[in-house]
Amino acid sequence: MSLITPQSREPGKKKGNFRRNDNNRIYANPLPLVFSPEEKNVWSSHKVLGLFGLAGSRIQNPHCEGVFDAHTRSVWVTNSDYSTTLWRRGFFGKGTLSRSEPSWLARQINARQNAEKNMVSEQVTAKRRAERKQFKLDRARAIAQAAAAAEAAFAEGRILTVEETGIVIPSAATWKPSRPASPPPPAPEPSTPTTQKDPPEDEDIIPENMEHLQLTLQEAFFLAWTLDCLMIVDPDTHAAMSLQQIWQTFQLVHFPLYFSASQELSNLRFDNPFLINYVVYHHYRSLGWVVRSGIKFCVDYLLYKRGPVFHHAEFAIVVCPVYEDEQDRETCPFDLQNVDPFSWTWLSTVNRVNSQVQKTLVLTYVTIPSRSRCHSVLLASPACLQFFTVREVVLRRFIPARMRD
Amino acid sequence: MDDSLERPNILPPPASNEAQDDGQSSEEEDGGPDWTKLPSSSGPNAARPVIPKRGEKDYEPKAGGGSGLQLHFLDRARTAMFGALGANRGVNNKSMSYGLWYPQLARAHVTVAKGIHFTSMGHFVQRASADSQTKLQKRLELLPEEALYLVERGALWCWKQVDVVSESVDATDPDGRGPPMSVQQAYAEMIGTQDLTLEKYQVFAYLKRLGYIVTRAEPPSPSYPVPPPLQSSTPRSVLNTLQSIWSGVCRRLRALIGGSIDWWRPLYLDGWLYHYTNYPSLFKSMRFIHSGHSTPLHLTSKPASAPRSPYHIFYHLYKPSTPFRKTSPPPPDFYVVVVDARNTPMPSLHELAALYDELPDVPPPLPRQRLQPVPDKPAGVPSTTPQSLSTLQQILHSVLPFLSRAPAEPPIKPRKPHPFMALKAGKKMVVMAAVDNGIISFFRFGQGAFDEWPMV
Repeated sequence: MSLITPQSREPGKKKGNFRRNDNNRIYANPLPLVFSPEEKNVWSSHKVLGLFGLAGSRIQNPHCEGVFDAHTRSVWVTNSDYSTTLWRRGFFGKGTLSRSEPSWLARQINARQNAEKNMVSEQVTAKRRAERKQFKLDRARAIAQAAAAAEAAFAEGRILTVEETGIVIPSAATWKPSRPASPPPPAPEPSTPTTQKDPPEDEDIIPENMEHLQLTLQEAFFLAWTLDCLMIVDPDTHAAMSLQQIWQTFQLVHFPLYFSASQELSNLRFDNPFLINYVVYHHYRSLGWVVRSGIKFCVDYLLYKRGPVFHHAEFAIVVCPVYEDEQDRETCPFDLQNVDPFSWTWLSTVNRVNSQVQKTLVLTYVTIPSRSRCHSVLLASPACLQFFTVREVVLRRFIPARMRD
Repeated sequence: MDDSLERPNILPPPASNEAQDDGQSSEEEDGGPDWTKLPSSSGPNAARPVIPKRGEKDYEPKAGGGSGLQLHFLDRARTAMFGALGANRGVNNKSMSYGLWYPQLARAHVTVAKGIHFTSMGHFVQRASADSQTKLQKRLELLPEEALYLVERGALWCWKQVDVVSESVDATDPDGRGPPMSVQQAYAEMIGTQDLTLEKYQVFAYLKRLGYIVTRAEPPSPSYPVPPPLQSSTPRSVLNTLQSIWSGVCRRLRALIGGSIDWWRPLYLDGWLYHYTNYPSLFKSMRFIHSGHSTPLHLTSKPASAPRSPYHIFYHLYKPSTPFRKTSPPPPDFYVVVVDARNTPMPSLHELAALYDELPDVPPPLPRQRLQPVPDKPAGVPSTTPQSLSTLQQILHSVLPFLSRAPAEPPIKPRKPHPFMALKAGKKMVVMAAVDNGIISFFRFGQGAFDEWPMV
């Protein structure tokens, strides 16, 4: 809890530079594993060894914990220290009561103190939207005035252009919110209706954190398997799951009849959605991208260069599974998406949505190993991941009128 | 009748819009033409219409129906459009070309070639002359799309070749050929010949009107000039095989030293041999998912009887600025595939892979050159040094040549491609034109190479 203090958040627009430095410090580590220098008394030998690339630093492993939840196909990290660690070092997971960073508690505290200074990102967005709405109203009013003036002039037999009416129509560049005259009311938090009713006297009581961090199965497996920094607890036995158990469960949970009938391990398939998505997730993570869900942009994943707090997402990834052997598809028990090529209208739709927000659409084709080439025994361990291949096709509109020189 | 139908096509692509709803606005990138600003509305003698710049919607429509002002503007625009459409189109007799369409050849033989069109259109073919079957004659021929485009533009009078000339025509027409084909007739005659579909013609005409040079990718006959074959193909494949051999050797060596990878512990975070010192090395060792377009595709091959995929390169595209010689065309700037958007889904990976196999590599785009700093530095350095020093430098240079070379190097900085630019461009690129009833949507499909540009 103490880690998500409002003080560590953006301190306002004036200090943009400071905020950037702050972010550079808070989000310095791209992974939960942290390299710490060797003990100080051996610094000389460490330097010498470092020249040969043999030693130099130790890896600090945070060893986070999460609980597997089969119904939501996710892993819940309830400890707020762990969730902060996972969010700040690599932007893993999503706060269940927040847009992305688990900031519910900070918002609660802010709302109680009514502090406009330390706004979290959701509050900044709400304020910006309110201002934008006001701007549109102002502009519409000015346009209507200009139209009325031109109309009146036309009735007298004159034809005026907008400029000639003398009415200034505000543009996004010139319009300023009229803050001092009428401060915009703080935008109500849709997720927290209780704050409005709270009497001001209980300001000092810090509410209990009701939020947890939710990891997708891909994120959880990446943390548990590749980085070995997440322990996943079985919700029934409360015991830590072994990697073998995790591997099998994450695949089995995608079967349609997972809850009604026990699944046989021999039924594991290469076209399991978990495997296909994990291959893509791991591929881009290993290349250093921060991978997050792209459902808001009609796509599967978004790629951020360093993380959502630094830049907007640059690429929007659509995962397109491709069967090596089309016959394997006929027995597929999963509702696998995007196996058939898009229609051109859908491609245009997705591309329009993403180019509108300055993202480049990428079709990521994942080949599903054919059962004739790879025996399903391979699915017992992550060794089967080496039989998938990933290739990208980058899509952009081609506008001949602008490509002439 | 078809004269008035084809009228908009003689205009260069319009670039203005004033809330016009004439069906053209959706086709063009910048909306329909503002007819009120066309001088052709003044009468039939308009020689060259000047395209005005794009306008803006004046006001939002009012709730209580149109206002007097809006009606006035609409009426003005409408009359202007009818005026422009109703104007007679005049063509100078001397600038007309003459051609003869041979349906069985699917070519138009150009008997009189006039105008600049023929610098980039038409090709010479050896044909047996009409008089003697043995004697070969070189003559200029047009592909159906080229002939149709010129007919539609009003630059070519094209007759249809008929074997038997009927007597009745002779009586009325001194040439004995009858009137040239109408545009309508030309469409009916030429679409469907030599693989030319309506969609392909629409793409051709659209690009031609924008000033591009458009040629066939697959030569329809041996005499059709083609660009030189891709030269880099053979050395690249040798390099590729060498690279793959080398990487295979490396992999085997690594396997020998470190043992095969333990798939339950892919990173050996505590191992003494694989001790990671920084994030780049950690990320690098995570990259074991096979990726990239060069990894083998184990797709089951389709039966040979399957119909040919609609995804093949149909046009070569040259920018207007590219120096183009008709007889020996340079490598094209773009490769264009044309499909019917309604009946064809997007290409499958199979089809894309086949397309990329034919295409050359495109070098990654370099960042835009900043013209100011680069010339400044070399110019600024000598100017600051006094004149007397330069003689000293000359002596020094002659005695110790390495002295003078050292300071000259820093300003020469090779520009590196920006990773995002390189990722967005891809290594190879094909342009797909999806045509839906005359409306063309162009996409570029870049061969992505994310594995070559890691972020860490």
